[in-house]
Amino acid sequence: MENKNKFDLRETLSYFAFEVPVKLYRSIIRHGYPDSEKNKSLLIFTNFFLHILPVKVRKHTVKVRYSYCMGGITLLLFIILTITGGLLMFYYVPSTEKAYQNMKDLEFAVSFGVFLRNMHRWGAHGMVATVFLHMCRVFYTGAYKPPREFNWVIGVILLVSTLFLSFTGYLLPWDQLAFWAITVGATIASYAPMGDLQRFVLLGGNTVDQGALIRFYVAHVFLLPLVTTLLIGVHLWRVRKDGGMSGPPL
Amino acid sequence: MPAKKIDKQDIFPKGSGKTYGLLELVDGESRIASKEPEDTVFCFPHLLTPIMMCTLVTTIVLVLVSLFFNAPLEEIANPVRPPNPAKAPWYFLGLQEMVSYDAFVGGVLFPVLFVLGLMAIPYLDRNPLGVGVWFSKTRPIAIKLFTIFVIINLVLIIIGTFLRGPNWAIYWPWEDQGGGH
Repeated sequence: MENKNKFDLRETLSYFAFEVPVKLYRSIIRHGYPDSEKNKSLLIFTNFFLHILPVKVRKHTVKVRYSYCMGGITLLLFIILTITGGLLMFYYVPSTEKAYQNMKDLEFAVSFGVFLRNMHRWGAHGMVATVFLHMCRVFYTGAYKPPREFNWVIGVILLVSTLFLSFTGYLLPWDQLAFWAITVGATIASYAPMGDLQRFVLLGGNTVDQGALIRFYVAHVFLLPLVTTLLIGVHLWRVRKDGGMSGPPL
Repeated sequence: MPAKKIDKQDIFPKGSGKTYGLLELVDGESRIASKEPEDTVFCFPHLLTPIMMCTLVTTIVLVLVSLFFNAPLEEIANPVRPPNPAKAPWYFLGLQEMVSYDAFVGGVLFPVLFVLGLMAIPYLDRNPLGVGVWFSKTRPIAIKLFTIFVIINLVLIIIGTFLRGPNWAIYWPWEDQGGGH
């Protein structure tokens, strides 16, 4: 009898070369090739990132010309903005002394710095536009009607938080455009009841200065993204709970 | 089903006295028995493919725009040298335009009413018809009102962005408007 514990080089190499990759793959992806109904289902609900989707959707849902993917594009832009924004944070110090110099460094010293800032800037403008177009789509298709009334309200809050995200980011380059746009915006806030108090809270002072810059920075990179992420989660969760994407009655 | 030749005699034996028989063999992946007619498709690949396409196209467009157009960066902020006119970001220029008529009404009252009015839409609109159809003819008033709202906003933003120059006076786009935009 051959000793079972005997080291077999060929068998060992074959194990690491052929079996380990398969075992590794199967420990991550827990379903077979998605050509059967079972595996198509498992692909969706054993995947963390896809589990927000149902296994099956109405044929109506997959028609691009119904939603024009506006909500999805808004989410995608938000993800791109989170990634590019995180990278920009490596190069940016929210100080009136340094902020503008950091912008110049991005332009002339940092590899792909201009590209990074462009992605963030144009992505932000794009998100304001797509979130507005998404709202128009939802209105014109009557998608806010029962049972989706409150999800529309959450959507309006997300529209406002998108505007505030963009507005707070506008100050950070600390150039003339940023400074005077925020000065104008803060002046508008001061026309409200208790306006001077509101403006003081917004700016952390009476003028746009270091206090305002750090407030806008913290709001832009922490508070507003937190609120927005949470509300996007609730927004998508309610879409699922209300029966998926709206469509004509069956 | 595998293409196995089935003799009709096996399915409908002659003179067996059977009162039932196999009627038809069809291709399919699962049992159809006791299932209602449905109009659904699997998310994979019918929904995931458009999602991936949309992701790719959006990303490529954004990358191309970012390669060819640079984000604006002006002189360092100077609190004693205001540009004339000083303009808010474009999406707030409708707001700034309204402020130029009346600070409180345009800057506070109307924006608050806009946001609250938007939130109230599902509770004000009691017509249950027209879900899932673009511009349904069953809800003409709602569609007209919302379109007016959209057009007012767009017109105000366009005026504020392209037609306002020094001292917030009307300037044509081809005239020197000063300011930073």
